[in-house]
Amino acid sequence: MYKKLALAIAFSPRMEALIAEARKLIQIFEGELILIHVGTKTPELEAQLSEVLSRHCGDLRPIKTIWKEGKPAKTILKTCKEEGVDLLVLGALKKEGLLTYYLGSIARKIIRKSTCDVLTLIDPRIQTTDFEKVVINGTQLDFTPEVIRRSLLFCQAVHTQQVSILNEIKMYGLLMGNASEGTEDEASFTRRRLVQEEITYVEEILSELNPGDLKINIKVTGGKWASELAKYCEKISADLLIVGDDLNLTIFDRLFPHDLEELLSSLPCNLLLFKK
Amino acid sequence: METLSHHEVINLLLQLALMLIMARLFAELARKLKQPAVVGEIIAGIIMGPTVLGMAFPELFESLFETNNQTNIALDGFVQISIVLLLFIAGIEVDLQVVWSQGKNALKIGLTSMIIPILSGFVLAYAFPEFLGVNINDRIIASTFFGLSISITALAVIARILMDLDLFKTKTGLLIIAGTIIVDVVGWIIFSVILSLSDSGKTGLGVWPTIGLTLFFTVFMLTIGKGLINKVLPWTNKNLAWPGGLISLSLAICFIAASFTEYIGIHAIFGAFIIGVALGDSEHLTEKAKEILHHFINNIFAPIFFVSIGLKVNFIEGFDPMVVGIVVIVGFFTKYFGAYLGGRFAGFKRNTAMVIGFGLSARGSMDIILALIALEYGLVSESLFIGLVILALLSSIVSGPLMSWAEKLKLSNKSE
Repeated sequence: MYKKLALAIAFSPRMEALIAEARKLIQIFEGELILIHVGTKTPELEAQLSEVLSRHCGDLRPIKTIWKEGKPAKTILKTCKEEGVDLLVLGALKKEGLLTYYLGSIARKIIRKSTCDVLTLIDPRIQTTDFEKVVINGTQLDFTPEVIRRSLLFCQAVHTQQVSILNEIKMYGLLMGNASEGTEDEASFTRRRLVQEEITYVEEILSELNPGDLKINIKVTGGKWASELAKYCEKISADLLIVGDDLNLTIFDRLFPHDLEELLSSLPCNLLLFKK
Repeated sequence: METLSHHEVINLLLQLALMLIMARLFAELARKLKQPAVVGEIIAGIIMGPTVLGMAFPELFESLFETNNQTNIALDGFVQISIVLLLFIAGIEVDLQVVWSQGKNALKIGLTSMIIPILSGFVLAYAFPEFLGVNINDRIIASTFFGLSISITALAVIARILMDLDLFKTKTGLLIIAGTIIVDVVGWIIFSVILSLSDSGKTGLGVWPTIGLTLFFTVFMLTIGKGLINKVLPWTNKNLAWPGGLISLSLAICFIAASFTEYIGIHAIFGAFIIGVALGDSEHLTEKAKEILHHFINNIFAPIFFVSIGLKVNFIEGFDPMVVGIVVIVGFFTKYFGAYLGGRFAGFKRNTAMVIGFGLSARGSMDIILALIALEYGLVSESLFIGLVILALLSSIVSGPLMSWAEKLKLSNKSE
């Protein structure tokens, strides 16, 4: 699925954990890893890095490290493009949704503008993370069938135990408010129908895929998908949330932050973002 | 504090009870005929008001609605609160997310569907103000108002039609919803501006400061205001009774915003609408809470308001077939063509554009509120008001069947 992974590194305490995580991913996907650091290359840093690399990637071919100077977000994105990276791995802080190693605005820029998929890890571990519980955004969007397809491939590769696909009923309050013009039976029929429509939507997508041994739950909620996903991930202590991003975000999205932006401002768990 | 007398209290309670009973009765009848409740509620008002009851049983009508002045003032208080709450819930219905997801196409459809009726309505009213019954002393404002009033749509009515036709979740359905939301937001902004500029609502600020203030309030509420709401709501959800705390506080915020806009010279309803948008857009106002607000406002305050329309106006005395005919024809066709053209601009096939056109033509509560405020401000005559109410009712009745018809055309095209 991913042939070339890039890991953006800064020389922080969590670098080793991130390298361990990236190492595990290239093993799973049988891919190649490159490291990107935006900053000045010094002999001390080089020595520090090679020590960490020898611990985790000693058995591999030498890992390519790209040292570049410039604006962090722009440089990382440009390098990913030049190198033909298909998955960029970043570390991020859970609380403010700020990247650990860069300022929040830089993290957002990377995630928003990246043309390749981005995996954001909020709690990288040297023992590495198992993606046992994965939540997928199944909200009805043009990109969703593709997101579900790719998610299943990812989950199969990392041996996920429990996959939840979460769907949102759009404008549920308004629809149910309208349904109150009918009798109690009619209103509860409408409620059931709204839920069933979402389940059918996901089932139809799944019927064309091969989920193999994966255990898949479909969950339906009312409300805005980003906040519902965040709530659900926290509730089941998910290890990974997968969402798709096919939006061309504009100035309006910054003025009136919504969905993806809101999700980024407070990450509920690790986040894998598929790009179209 | 002055209070109502024994008789006045009895009178007020009877008025409210009768209004709710009649509204329910006719809303049920409308439901049986697959029509929106608002159609039934307006008819209930016409029957209870001077038009029918006042003609057939003048003494009964008088004893119910015309003996106690104090009671009528108290009832008017209910009606005013109902209007504010209806706008509040209309604001909560606005889902900016749907607008963003539909992007430019929704903008093209929404704006074209407004521009054409506004321009046509303005030209018509400006050329024939006396015939149509717009205030000649406030000609520009009143003519703009007429254009605006035939350009507005009703989100709740459209949502219901789309649900009935099973179109809500389709691309066309969401586009119609997004277009309607744009019309709603832009429409209420324009309406607030022209109201503050009209003779009776003059704030003394002048055109540009009024526009500036209105836009400032809108942007402020949707950015910083929403940010504040996002800070306060999680706290109330966690620490106060649910949904009690949320409902009483959101209504309180609504009344504060409404009184604030009224204070700065923009009508109260605008504050209620915008605060509704800001609250509704907050992820912390759950859909369950929205549903409860809907039930509570739609089934208590909305019927009181719609019935009160019929109590205020004599639909037979003020009925002018020419005016009503012209308002209905011009209103329906300009809105339809506006939305249709918008659909075509957005690159949709003719059939889909037709569905969009009929969809956005559905009017209802919003149109009636707009018309009533204009009547109270003396911008329009009673006969024009009646025309606008009839346009709202007729369009909400015919839009569904016409959309269904246009949708079938699309199907037959597909199979060819």
